[in-house]
Amino acid sequence: MATTSEETSARNADGVREFEIDVRTQDVELNMGPQHPATHGVLRVLLRADGEILTGGQCHLGYLHRCAEKIGESVDYIQYLPYTDRYDYLAAMNNNLGYSLAVEKLLGVEVPVRGQYLRTIIAELNRIASHLVAVGTYGLDVGAFTPFFYALREREMILDLFEKICGARLTYSYIRPGGVMNDAPAGWLEGVDEFCDWMDSKWKEHWNLLIESKIFIERTAKVGVVTAEQAIDWGCTGPMLRGSGVDWDLRRDQPYLVYDRLDYQVIVGVGHRGTVGDCFDRTYVRMFEIVESVKMIRQCLAAIQDGEVCHPDVGLLLRPAPGEAYVGIENPRGELGHYIVSDGSKIAKRVRVRAPSFCNLAVIEDILPGCMLADAAAIIGATDIVIGETDR
Amino acid sequence: MTLLEKDRAPVSASRHYWRNVFQTVKSTAVGMGITFKYLWSKPVTVQYPDEKLPTDERYRGIHYLEQDLCICCDACAKACPIDCIEMDATRQGKELDWHSFTLDYQKCMFCELCVYPCPKDCIHMGKEYALVTEDRGTLVLDLLGWKGLTEEQKVRIADAEAKKAAKAAAKKTKDAAAPPAAPAAPEVPEAPAAPDGDEEA
Amino acid sequence: MNVAAIFPTDPAAAAAALAQQGNLATDALQGVLPAGVPWWMITLGGAGLGFAAIMGFVTVMSMFSIWLERKVAGHIQVRLGPMRVGGWHGWAQSIADGVKLLLKEDIVILGADKVLFKLAPALVLGTALATFVALPFGPGAMIADVDLGVYFIIAISSVTTIGIIMAGWGSNNKWSVYGAMREAAQVASYEIPFGLSLMPPVIYYGSFSLRAATEAQAGWGGLHWYIFDPLTFWVAIPSFVLFFVSILAETKRAPFDLPESESELVAGFHTEYSGIRFSFFFLEEYAAMFVMSGVGAAFWFGGWNFPGLSLLEGSPVLHSLAAVGVFTVKSMLLVFVMMWVRWTVPRLRIDQVMTLGYKYLTPLTLICVFAAALAEYLKS
Repeated sequence: MATTSEETSARNADGVREFEIDVRTQDVELNMGPQHPATHGVLRVLLRADGEILTGGQCHLGYLHRCAEKIGESVDYIQYLPYTDRYDYLAAMNNNLGYSLAVEKLLGVEVPVRGQYLRTIIAELNRIASHLVAVGTYGLDVGAFTPFFYALREREMILDLFEKICGARLTYSYIRPGGVMNDAPAGWLEGVDEFCDWMDSKWKEHWNLLIESKIFIERTAKVGVVTAEQAIDWGCTGPMLRGSGVDWDLRRDQPYLVYDRLDYQVIVGVGHRGTVGDCFDRTYVRMFEIVESVKMIRQCLAAIQDGEVCHPDVGLLLRPAPGEAYVGIENPRGELGHYIVSDGSKIAKRVRVRAPSFCNLAVIEDILPGCMLADAAAIIGATDIVIGETDR
Repeated sequence: MTLLEKDRAPVSASRHYWRNVFQTVKSTAVGMGITFKYLWSKPVTVQYPDEKLPTDERYRGIHYLEQDLCICCDACAKACPIDCIEMDATRQGKELDWHSFTLDYQKCMFCELCVYPCPKDCIHMGKEYALVTEDRGTLVLDLLGWKGLTEEQKVRIADAEAKKAAKAAAKKTKDAAAPPAAPAAPEVPEAPAAPDGDEEA
Repeated sequence: MNVAAIFPTDPAAAAAALAQQGNLATDALQGVLPAGVPWWMITLGGAGLGFAAIMGFVTVMSMFSIWLERKVAGHIQVRLGPMRVGGWHGWAQSIADGVKLLLKEDIVILGADKVLFKLAPALVLGTALATFVALPFGPGAMIADVDLGVYFIIAISSVTTIGIIMAGWGSNNKWSVYGAMREAAQVASYEIPFGLSLMPPVIYYGSFSLRAATEAQAGWGGLHWYIFDPLTFWVAIPSFVLFFVSILAETKRAPFDLPESESELVAGFHTEYSGIRFSFFFLEEYAAMFVMSGVGAAFWFGGWNFPGLSLLEGSPVLHSLAAVGVFTVKSMLLVFVMMWVRWTVPRLRIDQVMTLGYKYLTPLTLICVFAAALAEYLKS
C-alpha cells in the first residue's frame, strides 16, 4: 500500500502545506465531540472538511473545567495534593511530584535520599503506565482494538504495585511535600524488578503487533507532521517535542530527583518510517521511553538504600515563607509546571499549572488542515491529551 | 533499535511496490500470530461480582472508625479537602454519646488525609470499595452503625459494641440504683476539640 | 434464464423446469402433496419453504456469529467475553440482545427522511438474504441452482450498498453521510478485485455455477479441492488471499470497516439507528460474511465435499444434511478468520483503501487470472 499521504498532508521544502483539491465544494462543518470516541474525553473539535479532506479545525475546551487552580487558593498546601491527582489522571504520581517539588522549593527542604529514589521509581513506573495507555488508545484511534487490552494488562501490574505502596490505583496522593507518604512495604522493590522483567519480555510483542504493523505505519507515518520550529513555537513539550526531533528532556536538562545519577538516553524522533515529527515518531518516542524507564528503574533499584523517606520537619500544616516558586518536571506528556506564590499563610496565594496537554493540543489546529478526516483521529490520538489536564 | 535504513533508501517503483506487498503480508501475519497465541491463553480478567481480587493491606477504601477511641475532635473533618466528614456527639460527663459520624462518599476522594491528623489513630481506610446504589442519599454513610465491613473490622467493632453494651448495662444498673440522677439533663453543648482523651474509662 | 424458463405456462415445460430446477424443497413437496397439485403451487411452496429455511438459518447463524465474534474478541484480548446469559459461556447472549433490540423503542429521528430511513434496513437485510439463494449448501440443498451463481451473488450483494447509502442519507447526520459515501466508494471499487479474484476458479471449473464447482472438487475421496490441486495450487492460494482481502472490504470488515469506523465516524451509517432497525444492519453484516465465506468455501475449499461423506450417499436426506453441515463448518471457519483479522489489524484510511484496491488488488488479481489461464493451457 503505497501511501498517498504525500498528496494530502505533506509539506514542501519551505514547510508550506500543499494539497490539491480538483473539485471544490462547500465545506462541511463537523462537530467532533464533545462526545466522540476519538477525542479522549470531552474535547470538542470543530472540523471543516471538504469531502474527506479537512480544511480547518478548531479546538473548543472547557468541558471538564473544575477550577483546579482556584481551588489551590482556598485549601491549604497538603489539601491541594489530591487535586493534583486529578488533572492528569493517567500520570497522577508525576503530578504529585511536580506539586511537591514546587512546595519543597518554597519550603527550602531537601528530601531524604531513599525518598528521592522511591520518587524516581514511582515516577518512572507511572510514566510507563501512562505511555502504555497512550500507545494503546492510539491503537484504538487507528482502529486496532487488541493492543489496547494488552497495554492495559501491563498497566494493571503497575497499578497493583501502586496499590501495594499507597493503597490507591488511580489517584494516589502518594508523593507529598517532604517526601513520600510511607515507605515501600516488604517485597515491593522485588515486585518492581519482576515487573521490569515482564515489561522487557512483552515490549517486543507490543512493538510487533501494533507499531510494526504495516497498516499502522501507513496510518501514522507522514501524517500530522509537526516541524521542530513549529513544535517550539507552539510550546510543545514531551514526546510531542522530542518526536519532532528536538533533543529536550527536563530530566536531563534541568535535573531533579536522582535523574542526574542515572544513565539513560533521551529518545528523539528521527523519522523512522516517514518524516521527522509525524505521528509515528511520537508513538515511537513513547515506546522507547518505556524501555528507557525500565532501564532507569533498574538502576534505581540497584542504588536504593535504607533510610528515611520523608523529611521529618515537614508536617501536615505547611506555612512556607512568602515567595514564589516554579518547578517544571518531565511528565509523560511534557513539561508539567507548577507556579506557586506564597504569602506566608497556610494557604497559597496563587497556584498556576502549566499543563503539557494543553500546550500540545494547541498545535493541532495548525496541522489539521490538509489531512484526511481519519487523520484527525490519528493526530489527536498522537498528541496524547488528557482532557482533565487541558481543562483542569 | 529497529531502524530499517534500507526501507528508507530510494528504490525503484517496482521494488517499492513489491516490498509494500511483502511487508503488509508479513506484518499482518506476525500480528495474527500474536493474537492467535493469545486466543488460547488464559484470560487475565476475573468474573467480578463472583470473584473478587483481594485488596491490599494499604488499600484505601471505605473508612472504618474505632468508635470507642474517637473523641470527636474534628481534626479529620478539618483535614478533609472537601469537607465531607461531619460528626456530632454529645458529651455526657466522661462519655461521648454519639449521634452521627457521617462521611459523604459522593464527595470523598479517598485521599487518606483524614487519617493522619487523628490524635487517637481511630479512623482508618478500609478494604471495602463497592459503593453501588440506586439512591444517592445512601452514599452518605454513618460510620457508626454501618455493617458492610470486613470480618476483622466487624470483630473489632463487635468487641467495641460489647464493651459499650456492658458499660451501658453497668450504667443501667447504676441508674436503677439511683433513678432520678439526671434523666433529662440539659444537653451539654457539643464538646470542643479535646485532644486528651479523658473519657476513656 | 428468461422469464419463460422460470415461469413456464405450458404444464409439460413446467414439469420439465421443475425436474431441472428440482431441489430438496420441491422434491419433498412433490412427494407429500397429491399428484393433482398444479406446478406453480409446488414452486411457490418450495419458494416458501426455502425462504423459511433461509430466515431460520440466517437468524441462528448470525446470532451464533455475533456470539462467536464476542468470544473470539474476548479471548484474543485476554478477557472472557460474555459469560453470564444462559449459563455456559454466555451462549444465550445474542438471544437476549435480540430480545432487547426487539423491545426497544423504535426511534426515527427528527429531520430524518422517513421513507429512506425505514426502507434502508429492510433493503439491506433483504438483499443479504437473497444472496443465500445461490449458496450450495449440499446436494439438492440449494434453494436455487443458478447457473451464474457467483455472478448472481456479486450482483445482489452490491444492492446492499444502495441500502446503506439510503440509511446514511436518510439519517440526516453528517457522520452517517460520510459513512455512506465511504461505503459507496469502497464497495464500488472492490467489486473489481472481488469479481476478478473469482475468475481463476471460474476458469478452472469452466463454470459460474457454485454447484458445478463443488461437484468438480469431489475427487480423491472428497479432498480434490481447488486449493489442493497439484497443478493449480500456485494460482489457487494467491487468488484466495486476494479474494479474502476483497471480501473483507465487500463486507465492511476490519481493516476496511470505514463506513462504520467508530473512532472517526462515531458509528458511520448506522449512527442514528437503534432497536430492531439497527439489528437488521447487524444481521446483514454477519449474513454477508457468511455468504462471502460460503463462496470462498465452495470455490477453493471443496464446498460440501469432505472425506467420508460419500459413505452416506445411500440415504439422500442424511447425505444432504451432512453436506450442509460440512459446508456450514467450512464457511464458519472462514468467518472466524475474518474475525481474527478484525481483532488484529488497525483500520486503513479511505485513500489507502482506494490505493489498495486499485493499485494493488486489481493488478494482482489480473495477474492471477492470467496465471489461471496459463495453468489451464499447460494442463491441456
